[in-house]
Amino acid sequence: MSEHLLEVRGLRTWFETPKGTVKAVDGVDLTLNRGEILGLVGESGSGKSITGFSLLGLVDPPGKVVEGDIRFQGEDLRAASARRQRALRGNRIAMIFQDPMMTLNPVLRIGTQMIETVQAHEKVSKSEARRRARDALGMVGIPHPEERIDAYPHEFSGGMRQRVAIAIALLHKPDLIIADEPTTALDVTIQSQILSEVQSLTRDLGMGLIWISHDLGVVGQLANKVAVMYAGRIVERGAVDDVLDRPRHPYTRGLLDSLPMENDRGQPLRQIPGNAPPPLNRPEGCPFRPRCARASEACLAEPAETGTAARAWRCFHPLEQTGVFA
Amino acid sequence: MTDAQPMIEAAGVIKNFRRKTDLAERIAMRVGLAQEPGTVHALDDVSLSIRRGEVVGLVGESGCGKSTFGRAVAGMLPLTGGVVRRNGQDIAKLKGAEARAMRLATQIIFQDPMSSLNPRKKVLEIIGEAPRLHGLVARGGVRNLVEGLMDQVGLDPAMINRYPHQFSGGQRQRIGIARALAVNPDFLICDESIAALDVSIQAQVINLLVRLRQDLSLTLLFISHDLSVVRYISDRVVIMYLGRVVESAPTDRVFAAARHPYTQALLEEIPRIDRRGHRFSSVKGEIPSPMNPPGGCHFHPRCPLAMDRCRVERPMLKQAGRDHAVACHLDGGFGRPKPTLFPTQSTLQAAESGLL
Ligand SMILES: Nc1ncnc2c1ncn2[C@@H]1O[C@H](COP(=O)(O)OP(=O)(O)O)[C@@H](O)[C@H]1O
Ligand SMILES: Nc1ncnc2c1ncn2[C@@H]1O[C@H](COP(=O)(O)OP(=O)(O)O)[C@@H](O)[C@H]1O
Ligand code: SF4
Ligand code: SF4
Ligand SMILES: [Mg+2]
Ligand SMILES: [Mg+2]
Repeated sequence: MSEHLLEVRGLRTWFETPKGTVKAVDGVDLTLNRGEILGLVGESGSGKSITGFSLLGLVDPPGKVVEGDIRFQGEDLRAASARRQRALRGNRIAMIFQDPMMTLNPVLRIGTQMIETVQAHEKVSKSEARRRARDALGMVGIPHPEERIDAYPHEFSGGMRQRVAIAIALLHKPDLIIADEPTTALDVTIQSQILSEVQSLTRDLGMGLIWISHDLGVVGQLANKVAVMYAGRIVERGAVDDVLDRPRHPYTRGLLDSLPMENDRGQPLRQIPGNAPPPLNRPEGCPFRPRCARASEACLAEPAETGTAARAWRCFHPLEQTGVFA
Repeated sequence: MTDAQPMIEAAGVIKNFRRKTDLAERIAMRVGLAQEPGTVHALDDVSLSIRRGEVVGLVGESGCGKSTFGRAVAGMLPLTGGVVRRNGQDIAKLKGAEARAMRLATQIIFQDPMSSLNPRKKVLEIIGEAPRLHGLVARGGVRNLVEGLMDQVGLDPAMINRYPHQFSGGQRQRIGIARALAVNPDFLICDESIAALDVSIQAQVINLLVRLRQDLSLTLLFISHDLSVVRYISDRVVIMYLGRVVESAPTDRVFAAARHPYTQALLEEIPRIDRRGHRFSSVKGEIPSPMNPPGGCHFHPRCPLAMDRCRVERPMLKQAGRDHAVACHLDGGFGRPKPTLFPTQSTLQAAESGLL
């Protein structure tokens, strides 16, 4: 097996609740190499965040990774001890959240917090740790890092706080960053600045980046690869150009068609009918079946992944390569 | 469609607030790390008219004053200065029955339907309450009215006795829309009404709003930070920056021939699936605080084309074409178009046929 930075096979993360088993993640396969950005897209509740938490070993009870293989640089993460997982987290693998205050402590100067973070994983002097913190702030585009390092989180705007959170994630030059909708709450010009920084950092530092988002436009511009989630499964994945220009799964096609930018004014927007199924009441077989115009008897069974390691979909009646979804 | 008298006319509207604080700041204030807040200039001399039947999209980044403007034209806020007229009448001077009629005729639909729907009330009461209280329907007719409204917004009338939590996000937004329609408004303010919804559900709600607008001859102020949605739904687009209107024009014209550098920057940064490997970010710098905005043109610290004059003199809104106003000192106060900024099928066609 050639060694990927991250290789996930058949991941299932379930929550046992009094009302039944919530299959939040129910069959996720992913591959990521160094220097690559994978966009993980899907609507709310499709399982994007829980996928991210599962990779980091951060799923809280009643949730549990019940099945699957997670290999990080060849190492089996599910078999790793809790101690080993903690050592990897915040060192080799880092996570960025939508709300930077999940990462930042409101009563600590950001420098204090960053120095602590450096020293938690490495034996370095305080001045060396401070130098690294300052460099990381500069790297994410914070002006005058030498002065700003002594500021408190409240002295930064929302966009700058998110940059600080990204700088903290970068402190140990991780191999993999999992970013969970970090620009969703930001304004478009600020989002754009951060995407630009993140894009070049990933390239320059040779990291792997998983960018979770509900915004196909952001992912199209940022990522090399896309994985589309629906009801806990990856229903389609591949290179950005393949998935966005030549989608094979009816759900991907439907999402792309419903974007206002892809529709003529004065015509009704092409819409996907219905709602995503509630997690405790998913239809039998293909979960997209009740909303799908191509559904047939065959779809009462669960479609397996078809395709190659690089380009795959889960559908019994995939769209033709060039076909237009009627 | 031109009407001598606009339906809504805001003239020189000013609104100041004492600044709001966020959680990080409040914690910092409690432990003595931050100062008490000062004055926010939320609306700084805003003039804007809306014609009967028009859909006006109001766009700008957070904190630029969009919601404040919406509440001001709905008569929900006392103004610091200026005047809002509804059919020519100053809404602050309306009394009694006239004031009530104006308030009912203007309805706001907010972003988060859950926070504006009483969780302990059934849909029947939520939608039926206002028309009943205001005597728009006889007691015995409420159920009928609510069933009709539910049908109109695409909700199954059989769910009339359910509570808000038993509905999905998209359905709750439909409840919010039905509640607004229940008092027969002619003017709807949608304040980020679809921002919290998933893409596929957004499309459904947008289609609903477009249909209702036609069926009920509604006038719409559509507030959104999302230019791609605004482009789809609006007849005219108004762009705000830090409490001021910087540009206003018919939608196709904004997308094909925006003249203000800020509008152009916003257009360039719309995430679009047809722009792979796009180099992001044409605007540098942060959005300044509305408490202490930069002098002259508010946009000057971030503007790639700023000149000396921009730092000291406020550019006033100036007609730069039919129905096209812009506030920028460039080229004699008319701003400067940026060629091939946003070619789309419909704007290209319009340009070819000489409409722009
Ligand atoms: N603690 C929990 N208990 C039960 N269900 C949960 C829990 N956390 C998440 N889920 C469920 O898991 C599913 C996936 O959630 P999530 O990964 O957060 O979705 P996304 O990030 O795509 O919006 C959702 O249906 C959610 O309700
Ligand atoms: N009730 C209020 N009290 C204090 N400040 C407010 C209040 N409402 C709005 N503001 C401030 O006024 C400015 C404009 O706010 P708002 O109209 O909500 O902007 P937008 O809707 O464009 O995001 C912001 O700086 C905001 O913090
Ligand atoms: S498997 Fe069937 S129901 Fe599912 S997406 Fe494909 S055609 Fe539609
Ligand atoms: S007035 Fe000056 S600073 Fe403002 S947008 Fe125009 S050129 Fe830029
Ligand atoms: Mg999530
Ligand atoms: Mg607002």
